[in-house]
Amino acid sequence: MDISFALTGKGYVLVAADTTAARSIIKMKSDEDKIKVLSPHLLMAFSGEPGDTVNFAEYVERNLRLYHIRHTYPLRPASAASWIRRSLAESLRSRSPYSVNLLLGGYDTATHTPELYWVDYLGTMTSVPFGAHGYGSYFALSLLDRYHDPEAGLEEGLAALRRCIDEVSKRLVVSPGKYKVKVVDKDGVREIEL
Amino acid sequence: MSIMQYNGGSVIAMVGKDCVAIASDLRLGNQSLGISSNFEKIFAMTERTYVGLPGLATDVTTLHEQLRYRLNMYTIKEERTMEPETFIHLVSSTLYEKRWGPYFIEPVLAGMQKTPSGAFRPFVASTDLIGCINFAKDFVVAGTASEKLFGVAEGLWEPDLEPEDLFETISQTLLNAVDRDAYSGWGAVVHVITKDKVVKRTLKGRMD
Amino acid sequence: MSRSYDRALTVFSPDGHLFQVEYALEAVKKGTCAVGLRGKDVVVLGVEKKSVLQLQDPRTVRKVAMLDDHICLAFAGLNADGRVLIDKARVECQSHRLTVEDPVTVEYITRHIAGIQQKYTQSGGVRPFGVSTLIVGFDPNDTRPRLYQTEPGGTYSAWKANAIGRSSKTVREFLEKNHKDDLSRDETIKLTIKSLLEVVQTGAKNIEINIMESYGKITALEQSEIEAAVQEIEREKEAEAERKRSRLAATAAGQAAMSQAVPGQ
Repeated sequence: MDISFALTGKGYVLVAADTTAARSIIKMKSDEDKIKVLSPHLLMAFSGEPGDTVNFAEYVERNLRLYHIRHTYPLRPASAASWIRRSLAESLRSRSPYSVNLLLGGYDTATHTPELYWVDYLGTMTSVPFGAHGYGSYFALSLLDRYHDPEAGLEEGLAALRRCIDEVSKRLVVSPGKYKVKVVDKDGVREIEL
Repeated sequence: MSIMQYNGGSVIAMVGKDCVAIASDLRLGNQSLGISSNFEKIFAMTERTYVGLPGLATDVTTLHEQLRYRLNMYTIKEERTMEPETFIHLVSSTLYEKRWGPYFIEPVLAGMQKTPSGAFRPFVASTDLIGCINFAKDFVVAGTASEKLFGVAEGLWEPDLEPEDLFETISQTLLNAVDRDAYSGWGAVVHVITKDKVVKRTLKGRMD
Repeated sequence: MSRSYDRALTVFSPDGHLFQVEYALEAVKKGTCAVGLRGKDVVVLGVEKKSVLQLQDPRTVRKVAMLDDHICLAFAGLNADGRVLIDKARVECQSHRLTVEDPVTVEYITRHIAGIQQKYTQSGGVRPFGVSTLIVGFDPNDTRPRLYQTEPGGTYSAWKANAIGRSSKTVREFLEKNHKDDLSRDETIKLTIKSLLEVVQTGAKNIEINIMESYGKITALEQSEIEAAVQEIEREKEAEAERKRSRLAATAAGQAAMSQAVPGQ
């Protein structure tokens, strides 16, 4: 039931995820943060099996932090994504696989490029200009095919994101009420109120 | 619904006159939902050996990483590049290692094989998902559009095509085959390999 | 056959010593000196840096390591052993956060490190770590600075101020003489440098100072700042010596005057 979107723009990546924590048809919580800040320039929106999601996200967070302390520098987005993908791919063929889908948004401070990776629980990974997980993806992907511009400024990017959120609210029977939006750019990570 | 069709994608390789070509589509999907139109399935393993890995996308990446690792170890230990014919056997044994829990990939290989005289001859081959090798003299296909690729290639391919003609033939074969397949398409890449150079071209395709 | 015997290298000598552990302590004594000093709300780590070879990159020779946001460790002894121990500690710091959400306390990570060191004195086919460590930091939600020491045998203890490594005895005795409770930030830094100067002949360029002021706030002193502090200390020493000299001269003059007075009687 989780819904998450992400899109790249000129020098930034926007990541949005709903804030509902539900048990079957019951909403248990409406301010859950499903976007983890993994390093100064890396964001991860996670969705999937409750329990698996937070556990996996924290596992990733601690490992990337350990890498940062060990090597002084954090992993760059492409390398971090590759490591995370491998963790999921190995987990898939283990006795108890994680069912977690991810959107990884990062800003590479070495090449000064925003990067976005779409990763699913199988360990499928691909670099995309915009991506989504959950029921929202059916609306968002086609909307962003039309309205996404990789050269758009932050305001335009937020407008495109708002379109996606509004469309989900309008068309989806079980639409979530609130979203958390985070952006990562050259200055690092910050939260944005829509 | 087979797991081989989960992400979609197709690859084809053809033999020409002193050249080979390998081509694939660029789609990555979640069943019928398209996720990416930039998912390359063909990887350069050596300067004149290219491998296409259609099938389950997670295994495309994993198997590519695994093959790259084993190839690099061979190159370092033997201090020479691996020939395509050796490489297909490496692919085969890597896949058969997972006989009872396979990678869901049907690799396609194209390369220029060095002959004892020092000349090069075109080489294509493919395997099934557990590593049974198919050495072909003309062309090999794999992926969700494989039946269609067989049909079109059977009609268009002819022996001893020059690089430019081979490019035209493989491109038309792929584009027309994937148009009949819902799980393949969304653009294509073609590599034409001759003994001393490789030309990579990206093709536009129908986006529906 | 030999497999059925205990193959541990660290076995008791008839008079109750563990020679391997004592040899490890000898290795520690050969290592460069490290000093830890606890002030009122600051804790300072000072280390003696080995002079690097002319063509070596000094940034790659490190004796002080961050274990987590709020904990630092300095060691004396075998560099390679220290590195391995640091890595184990770093993994434990993150693992602890992962399992119970909270960061480790300074005592917890000290006990963990000492635990590892102890294990290597009691298992087969291994030798003890040839390092002693000084661990400094702040506990989460606490303003009190902490300072702990571990040794190759696996013992650990808390200190107000301590030194390990080469000539640590001299430095510790100096600290025992000069340490006062509740030192300010600047006093703590100064005393750390002063104590190191007791054994570091080459002065400022072979000293490294790290200061921890509160949870997660770590700063390294710039070379110029250390030099300034060293100069100040030397000036004070000079003034002290001058005073002593003049006092001596005065006494000598007094005595001379008295002895001169005698013949004139």
